[in-house]
Amino acid sequence: MTDGEIAVAGPERLHPLFLLTGIGRGLRGLTGAYALVAYLAVSGKLWLGLTIAAGLLAFSIISVIIYWRRFEFRVGQDDIRIDSGVFSRTHRSIPFDRIQDVDITQGPIARVLGLARVTFETGAGSVQPGKEDGVIHAISVQRAGELRNLVRARRSGAAPAAAAIEASDEAPIYSMTFPRLLLAGTFNFSLALFAGLFGLTQTVGNVAGFDPFERSFWERVLSAGGPAREYVLLHPAAAAVAGALLLVLAGLLTGATRTVTREWGFRLDRTGVGLRRRRGLFTRTDVTLPTKRAQAAILASGPVREGFGFSELKLQNLAGDEDKSGNHVLAPLATGDEANRILSALGWRELPDPVEWKRVSRSFVWSFLLGAAPFLIAGAAAQVVFLPLLGFIWLAVPFALWFARQLEWRRIGYALDGDRLLIRSGWWRRRTTVLPLSKIQSIDLRESFVTRWFGTASLQFGVAGGTALAPHSIPAIPREGARQLRDRLLGSQP
Amino acid sequence: MESGGTMQADEQSPLLPVEPGYKSVLRLRYAISWGTLALVALIVDRSVLWETPIGGLLPLAVLAIGLLATLVFPARIYRRLRYRLTGRLLQVLRGWLFHTDTVVPLVRVQHLDVVRGPIDKMFGTASLVVHTAGTHNSIVTVPGLAPDRAAEMRDIIREQVRTDFE
Repeated sequence: MTDGEIAVAGPERLHPLFLLTGIGRGLRGLTGAYALVAYLAVSGKLWLGLTIAAGLLAFSIISVIIYWRRFEFRVGQDDIRIDSGVFSRTHRSIPFDRIQDVDITQGPIARVLGLARVTFETGAGSVQPGKEDGVIHAISVQRAGELRNLVRARRSGAAPAAAAIEASDEAPIYSMTFPRLLLAGTFNFSLALFAGLFGLTQTVGNVAGFDPFERSFWERVLSAGGPAREYVLLHPAAAAVAGALLLVLAGLLTGATRTVTREWGFRLDRTGVGLRRRRGLFTRTDVTLPTKRAQAAILASGPVREGFGFSELKLQNLAGDEDKSGNHVLAPLATGDEANRILSALGWRELPDPVEWKRVSRSFVWSFLLGAAPFLIAGAAAQVVFLPLLGFIWLAVPFALWFARQLEWRRIGYALDGDRLLIRSGWWRRRTTVLPLSKIQSIDLRESFVTRWFGTASLQFGVAGGTALAPHSIPAIPREGARQLRDRLLGSQP
Repeated sequence: MESGGTMQADEQSPLLPVEPGYKSVLRLRYAISWGTLALVALIVDRSVLWETPIGGLLPLAVLAIGLLATLVFPARIYRRLRYRLTGRLLQVLRGWLFHTDTVVPLVRVQHLDVVRGPIDKMFGTASLVVHTAGTHNSIVTVPGLAPDRAAEMRDIIREQVRTDFE
């Protein structure tokens, strides 16, 4: 591909097969409408429902065709231009220099048709998360690869990097064998299926006339099969054990299925600018994670997983992962050595071993219990008034809370490791966070009217990327210590 | 109590209070929102609860809490609200029951707004809004500044802004 060819490149359209995949995408977005149609169908207005459904289908088809007609992109000398919009046209120009990388995603249908979605990642995602920077929804896989190589070659000073990318014969930094994949699935044991079923039967079950959480439902089911009923009635304990086993099996299967489909063929490679990750059984994704955009690394684990020496390594990035969960998974199930190897591939130091964790104040336990005390007392009073026979069950709640908090307290720690902060937290959801000091955007020192009595404060760190719901934080540090730590963290800013 | 602790060599720049007019801003804001709430409570009361034994209680309760909030909260919030701008950092202390002490290094600032709403204009105040790249706490606000002071601070901070996502 020569320069002259690129300079005169004319406008390109999406692949014609987008008309197929686009309709699917459009229909998926109309969940509210389905509920309406289903409601109408159930409540006897079938024809009205069908008319609305047909109207929606026609509307989706027409809007996809119009979108396709009005969407053009062209590769210019210094930028990629995307023209879109039906009534108000948007002419977007993305300079090559600003493109951090090109992500290629293929859904199951797109893979059959040989299509791919291309996303141009720019830094702008940090200001308005969720906004599409530059997305080309459906072009041929081949063209997607060409675009990616073109962007890499064009980006100033990235020429040697472009060469390094294609050397994929090199052994991956991390990949998953099938047994490892299954093991990861086992740790992802999930009863989400049952929660979903429960929710479904509670909402739809009334209309459809069944509810598996009612005794009568099972009596009817069992009366259909005579011997089974006899058995259950004769051996209730055995039936309970069988039910529990079934629950465990279903949980394992759910976890394994979800994990295997998502992480199938997981492979992490080193490229010129960072790491490249490929994964997925049905929806295949190919994501590049530039080292410069990494904000923090998180080692997530649980009591069982950690017992086997495994954890999940995630990278907090400026832009979220494709499922919008915030952090990019670098390794679904890694041993300590593997995690260290990935960290050094990122250009980060390995974790010190052992880390000298600084513990936080016990006020973490007691201030929590004190804060919860009004609710506990109200609950106890309510129990005495309404359920006096059940006696002192409510008394167990404070002890359970105390115990859980105590377990958590024993795990919480922080350590300054040169130019980065290490934070460890959680007993059940174990997290070890590696936060480079230069990535801290702001620090909050928080006190509430309860913790003030204990003289402790918590520090919360503003870091780009991740979720705003669970910011990186250290709870319950004695007030003066918290202030000194904050000053030290900010003092080492550039 | 009012000291924000050690801030290294920046001890000489003091923690500053904001304009006293900010108390009036808060008062009016509370009056408007609690007044609206009381109105809603009154409508709910008249249409749903009137026949029940607790009829008439809800709007009275809302009105009482609203009056208390409007008369008591603003002065306390104002007293706690302090800020400090040094060569490197912006520090904001706020909160009455829940104290928050936020520090933003100026090099981390992404962009800046000076905001003046209609209530701000009535009492001669303005807010300085500082955006950082952080997902948590990405917007740090210093309310109740004199408009000139807000613009001055904006210019000081703007000098320090530099982006490193390139």
